Amino acid sequence: MVRLPRFFGKKRGHRRTGSQAWASLGDGAFHALLVMAGLVFGGLLLSGLAVPEWRINHHFTPTTCRILGKGLLRRTSTEPAGGPTSTWQPCLLVRYEADGRSVESWSQPSRTTLTADRAEAIDGLSAWRLGDDVPCWYDPANVGIVVLERGYNWWMWLLALLLPGALLAFGGSGLMRAIRRWGRSEERSAVLSRFTDMLDPLASGPPRADDHPGVPMCDNLVNSPGTFLAYRLPIESPESWTLIGFGLFALLWNSVLTVLAIGAGLDVMGGRTDWLLIALLVPFAIVGLAGIAVFVRSLVLATAIGTTQVEIAAQPLRPGRSYELLLAHGGSGTLESLEMSLELEEQATFRQGTDTRIEKLIVWRKPIQSWRDLNLAPGTRFEARATVSIPDLAMHSFASEHNAVRWSLVVKGVPVRWPPFVRSFPLVVYPAEAAG
Amino acid sequence: MSFVAEAARSTPRVIVQFCRADRRYDPLDTLEVHYQVDGLEDEAVRAVERTVLWYTEGKGEEDLGVHFFERIADRQRLPPEAPTERFTTRLPPSPLSYEGVIVKIRWCVRVRFFFGGGRDFVSEHEFVVGRIPPARIPVAPA
Amino acid sequence: MTHRNAPAVTASGVPANPFSTRHTRPGMLPPLDAAGVPIDPGRLLARLRPGGMAIEGPHGHGKSTLLHALLTEAAGAGRPTACVRVGSRGWVQRALSAIGLARPGAVVGIDGWERLPVAIARVLIMTATCRRATIVATTHGPTRMPVLMRCETSPEVLAALVALLPAHGGRIGAADIEEAFQLHGGNVREALYDLYDRFERRNRSLPVEAALPGLAPGRQSQERPERFLVRLPGP
Repeated sequence: MVRLPRFFGKKRGHRRTGSQAWASLGDGAFHALLVMAGLVFGGLLLSGLAVPEWRINHHFTPTTCRILGKGLLRRTSTEPAGGPTSTWQPCLLVRYEADGRSVESWSQPSRTTLTADRAEAIDGLSAWRLGDDVPCWYDPANVGIVVLERGYNWWMWLLALLLPGALLAFGGSGLMRAIRRWGRSEERSAVLSRFTDMLDPLASGPPRADDHPGVPMCDNLVNSPGTFLAYRLPIESPESWTLIGFGLFALLWNSVLTVLAIGAGLDVMGGRTDWLLIALLVPFAIVGLAGIAVFVRSLVLATAIGTTQVEIAAQPLRPGRSYELLLAHGGSGTLESLEMSLELEEQATFRQGTDTRIEKLIVWRKPIQSWRDLNLAPGTRFEARATVSIPDLAMHSFASEHNAVRWSLVVKGVPVRWPPFVRSFPLVVYPAEAAG
Repeated sequence: MSFVAEAARSTPRVIVQFCRADRRYDPLDTLEVHYQVDGLEDEAVRAVERTVLWYTEGKGEEDLGVHFFERIADRQRLPPEAPTERFTTRLPPSPLSYEGVIVKIRWCVRVRFFFGGGRDFVSEHEFVVGRIPPARIPVAPA
Repeated sequence: MTHRNAPAVTASGVPANPFSTRHTRPGMLPPLDAAGVPIDPGRLLARLRPGGMAIEGPHGHGKSTLLHALLTEAAGAGRPTACVRVGSRGWVQRALSAIGLARPGAVVGIDGWERLPVAIARVLIMTATCRRATIVATTHGPTRMPVLMRCETSPEVLAALVALLPAHGGRIGAADIEEAFQLHGGNVREALYDLYDRFERRNRSLPVEAALPGLAPGRQSQERPERFLVRLPGP
């Protein structure tokens, strides 16, 4: 008796065993349908497009023909909504020798000459003169078929194969994924391979440092050289994202508002007044102006407070070692206080139902240095050197798909007359070098 | 050698021995595991998978990373013909075991038996890599 | 081995937190009614009809847990099942293939029904009806679908769930459970997270060393002691 896979395995031992067989089956069936659709479409297109072109370029017999007449090939189709439409292609009546006899036939026009403009099609005939002898190629299987031009229309191939190609790629990768997952244990499915990464790069989690599984790469932290020390650290600042967000919102909203306002204005100038639209524009305009105001305020705040830069002597960091730092802060005004600290933060993401929950917790913090009453002059910047020490038994940086352990240098400032700011500079700490 | 016996509410029963009594290892150490299974009765084992992996635990969704994986389907190496087996692997430099507050990283050995009826049974045994102390939550002094 | 009175101890010697998501996520705990009594998924299974049916309830009231139990029961009864969480990777094709390929009597769970576009929702229900399969969807509020179950919570529910989890060794008391439930307005999921935090704090808290930072010359800065536990809930 054939046993179908169970949807949910019952508990065995002390761990629930779930069967993903049916999940894989449904997923695989869907992707198999896509693959079949891609094959069918691709087959139809290849047989209708590629195969004829191939035969013309490889199997047709070359000869010489005389041009006897000019004409237009008309194709008429009837649109459901409107009347009939015609397309035109120029073609030539030629005489040539084939299989020991004289043949007269109309040439097969090239696909690129197809046009809806009759005058354009007639223009296409002007390049040919009656009575001229020109090279041609005829089909040895059917000597009445003759062409005067050969070659490949790569653009046509590309466009024609785009849809079936996408179907095959998407369906094929999904089908391979489903097959690989079919009836596999959790551990077996999690065994990473280059093939797995290719099939589903998003599922393999964040990029990992070479030779250090689970440790994030620090490429992004070492690609910016510092002016005094080896590296300038990138900044992770919530205010930057807020500024970008406000700016995008103001831009998009006011763009839409402008289009609507222009439309309403043109209507009024044309003698038609759409009161509903005008009434809607009022609250839209209020929101648009408020968006601009908020963005400008955020921009002023960001520029008034000034920029903060941190440079470090080495990356990645290791437990038990100390590293030189340079803190630089520009702008103008007075900072009541400025402090720099080293923090270790845990981050956990959980998705359940419609909710995505991201929780962060700082589990360790060590102040590095702090300053008070800094007077910043425009055109200059405050600079200070410091040293950061990573504790001997510090946990290394870690990143997986839903969890992370992250080290950062955090700079907190309290300007006079402006809101406080917090700027975070990520670090990557590797595990201590193992003996042997 | 340390014995980690699994109390079975039902069969089978898997006994795992680690080469270190305290089950504590440093990165790049060699992990050697012996396991023994009994209580299978008449149930035929189709395959066994041995895995050394890390997983996360805490308030986030579980992630896992497989360091060592081996699937055995050769009848000569399956119980009852071979009730005892061993495997060895060199541990990687990371990630280290970590007892965080909302994120924890644990290493374990899993031995999973697949039976002829389509069911499977897994036995999991934890060990420690590294010497990272548990994270603390600092609180304000009184 | 887990003893009832003491929490399991991990290999590193720290008591394991029984409120970790591995113990509390859907499928790990049984669905309970408002009195804390286990719900019989078999009775709900008998009420399923072709088309769509809803499991209603606010956030954290056990909808996903009930859905999971219902699908397990259906699978055990030999009915084809599938579950799709709206918004997860590849959910569209899984939903379409699950319902499009469903045999009569199949039960397809859709977690997060309100996130479906209206047109897709209608197509799915029509397809399920035609194929004589049942969609069981979790929703936060009323929909056009008949209601299979309305999920409710109470302090008794939370207490019953805590009793089902691995032992906490007395670190969590009845007052904690009541307080967590009230604090989170009946959201059991958030209450369990709250109990997680309480368990961790009671296992780990130590006074911070009053170490002051090295200061720049000329200025003195008093580091104000502050509570370091900073939780930043996500969007």
